[in-house]
Amino acid sequence: MSASTVASTATSVAPVAPTEVGEPEVVDVVVTDRPWIVVVWNDPVNLMSYVVYVFQKLFGYSREKATRLMQQVHFEGKAAVSEGNREKAEADVARLHAHGLWATMEHPG
Amino acid sequence: MSSRFRRSGEGLLLSLSEPEHELLRTLPVELRELYEDDRGDDEARGRLFPRAYLDPTEEQSEEEWQELVHPELLRDRLDALTRVVDALETASAGRRGAVVVELGADDVPAFLGVLNDARLTLGTRLDVRDETDVSDLDPGSPQAPVLAVYSWLTYLEGELVEALLGEMPD
Repeated sequence: MSASTVASTATSVAPVAPTEVGEPEVVDVVVTDRPWIVVVWNDPVNLMSYVVYVFQKLFGYSREKATRLMQQVHFEGKAAVSEGNREKAEADVARLHAHGLWATMEHPG
Repeated sequence: MSSRFRRSGEGLLLSLSEPEHELLRTLPVELRELYEDDRGDDEARGRLFPRAYLDPTEEQSEEEWQELVHPELLRDRLDALTRVVDALETASAGRRGAVVVELGADDVPAFLGVLNDARLTLGTRLDVRDETDVSDLDPGSPQAPVLAVYSWLTYLEGELVEALLGEMPD
């Protein structure tokens, strides 16, 4: 998946700056390697206990850590629950969606 | 353990009244219809199958992810429905008119998923918000019956999660 992103970005940049085809590729490799965080968003339906259960089950977190993340989601509107490369983040988002949690992935900061 | 769920080997036994059993049997029918409706304009379906990439400019990655993951997410949900239907159909008579549903080890997460998806669907349709207090509802309101179902599913899922958390390490 990373490889195709490099290719597509290079292609889309090319018409704008045809003389710099080589350069955006270098930039994009850096972008692709940047870490990702998986964010869970607050929603009014999922039970707080259920969210704690899912965090423990999926990520092996302690009750304390899972509860802290759940509270952050509930009171602050969102929390970063895992991080990693693109593949890991995509897999974590899929597992959270399978459990009905509203999760997205983004670059930190 | 909770009042509704008892441990039985690797699985759980769920005690229901007959009307509760009947109500649960309607959920897989409605969820199957929702899962398989891929016209893409249903808000509840969008809630069950959201996008992965926050950044709207990551559209190609989003499409690739959806192509890769969506069939699997859909299949797992349909499999869960089949499991839950089978468990509900083979329920047995318990004491004092109760209906006892036997949930095997693999049926438990399927049942939890169906309860949660049903609540997400009803909650989206009812426009439930953080400040929504279902006990404030006017019993004469057209939404009252659906909210009553939603509240009961909330109770039942709470009981199940409590039972499962009780068996997890701290």
